[in-house]
Amino acid sequence: MPARAALLVALAVLLTTGLARSGPPGPGPSAPGAPASGAPGGTASEAPGGPADTFRSVRTYPAVAEPVRLRIPALGVDSDLQRLDRLADGTVAVPGRADRAGWFAQGPRPGQPGPAVVLGHVDSRTGPGVFFGLARIRPGAVVHVDRADASTIEFRVTEVSRVPKSRFPTDLVYGPTLEPTLRLVTCGGGFDESRRSYRDNVIVFATPA
Amino acid sequence: MKYMRIRGNGRHGRRFAILCLALIVTLPTWPATAVSPRPAPAGHDHAAALAVAPSAGERALRLQALLGQHSVLAAEFMRGRIRGDENFAQSANAALGRNTDAMAQLLGELLGAATAKRFAELWQEHVVELFTYAGGLADQDDAVLAEAREELIEYEEDLAGFFVGASHGRLTTRAAGGAMRMHVDHLLDQADAYAARDYPASNRLYRESYRHTYELGGVLAAALLSAKDAGALRAPIWRLRSQLGKLLAEHVVLVEDVTRAAVTGSPDFTAAGQMLNGNTRDLATAMDSLFGAAAAREFQSLWAHHVDQVVAYAAATAARDSARREQARASLHALEGRLAAFLEGATGKRLRSTSLTDALLAHDQMLLRHAEAFAAKEYGTAHEMAFETYDHMYELARLLSAAFGATVAARLPVGGVATGDGGMAGVVARR
Repeated sequence: MPARAALLVALAVLLTTGLARSGPPGPGPSAPGAPASGAPGGTASEAPGGPADTFRSVRTYPAVAEPVRLRIPALGVDSDLQRLDRLADGTVAVPGRADRAGWFAQGPRPGQPGPAVVLGHVDSRTGPGVFFGLARIRPGAVVHVDRADASTIEFRVTEVSRVPKSRFPTDLVYGPTLEPTLRLVTCGGGFDESRRSYRDNVIVFATPA
Repeated sequence: MKYMRIRGNGRHGRRFAILCLALIVTLPTWPATAVSPRPAPAGHDHAAALAVAPSAGERALRLQALLGQHSVLAAEFMRGRIRGDENFAQSANAALGRNTDAMAQLLGELLGAATAKRFAELWQEHVVELFTYAGGLADQDDAVLAEAREELIEYEEDLAGFFVGASHGRLTTRAAGGAMRMHVDHLLDQADAYAARDYPASNRLYRESYRHTYELGGVLAAALLSAKDAGALRAPIWRLRSQLGKLLAEHVVLVEDVTRAAVTGSPDFTAAGQMLNGNTRDLATAMDSLFGAAAAREFQSLWAHHVDQVVAYAAATAARDSARREQARASLHALEGRLAAFLEGATGKRLRSTSLTDALLAHDQMLLRHAEAFAAKEYGTAHEMAFETYDHMYELARLLSAAFGATVAARLPVGGVATGDGGMAGVVARR
């Protein structure tokens, strides 16, 4: 009970007088008619509106350079990156060579807000492609993306999934968010000889390390 | 076991004290002021819409918004206490109480009234200890500071335990404890820096605190919602709306912080301006990602000019320079149309310039009214404006994110990718 009584007394004092006492950094209660003390230390030398009169908002933002190289140590992948666009039929272009990865250049660059998407072949007609081992990558693996300004951003794999191409989750892969993520995409599953195409896509999701 | 300790007796006392505090701060201590006609909201009333049939996504967004707002109000509350500004601190505390009530109501919808009541008790006690800590800084009383820290650590544990229990273990004790600890550390550290007049550090922590609690809202929502409902929070459109809402609401919070510093000529103006510039950069970076560099540059130019004019209005208000005030107001009005036209073009007319101009006008009017009220020390009105501007911005974020998402989605590739020619089909098929 003494503790409770003491607390009540202390709080009552605090509420009725404590707030009116100026703390060490503050100038104390403002004089009538003076500007409100919006922050401690509002002094005569800081005339109201002084620094605000010359305030000018920033007109630039840090640009993120284009990606030029992809490295995945766990898979022994080290490839330069080709720019890829959306084709007239709405599909995405794929890298021109099986040993080279490509980046969807109409989407975010790796490290920008949003999902950056890198595509690579699992194989060619004659042998493995740059993403031959992608389906075996495990969550936690690190992916490095080197950029044109000599900077590098690292991502860490969070999820690996395989989906039928007929139900490709465009939204989850390319859908605009403001999180700087990376998706790696290649083919997987069974090969449909009649269509000369794999039935599935392997999608790796990664976030900044 | 903490309920057995001697100081545990004080909990009942503190609850009573909270009641006293609430009674005092809810009394009409400021004269009612003539407020300019309220600007029309951008669309339907956000709060009303949520009250009708809030979806899981809406509730999660609401929790994010309220937690972010809590961090800002708590920081303001503590700063008011540190500088001995009684009226401002009482007004900030009333706003904080309103925010706590809204959170308790939201959690009540998710978890039931009894659980929400328990949350409100813990949360209010945590607020009282923050207040006590700020008092210790103001009075340079190390014993009070140490005691408040000790109490806050216990409330961190209690709140973490509350969320772990409410989530039925989906939120781990470690994660919940770490999140609550970071939240309290942000607030205490920003108060320490503010009391020491280290404004760059204080404002940096102020911004980090907002962002952390906002994100924490998403984590908590994902843990408190059913697994099925929580799935909605992984949808890109929800994430875009959440993240855009975070940036835009942060703009509101920081521009109000800057205008408060502008109208008082306080020494933290420069540091507050730097934080606002950080938000402006982040918005431009987001626009670059969504619409490309050229659009981002145009957007940033317009947005920066908007911010400049709001600050100019606040400075002119402080200087009682009505000509400059009207000049700033006119510039803002011209910008509203230009920014609306830009957004209409960027989104392929998914956003209409006319309605968007009205929404931006509403945003500007509320910011100006906030600056006026603060300069006149009408803190109740200033906090009311801050609430309205904050909520209004979330509604605007809903409209913008829907249009931005649809615009970008329209140019995304369709279908799977053809990245294999079958040379290794025998091996690939076995994986």
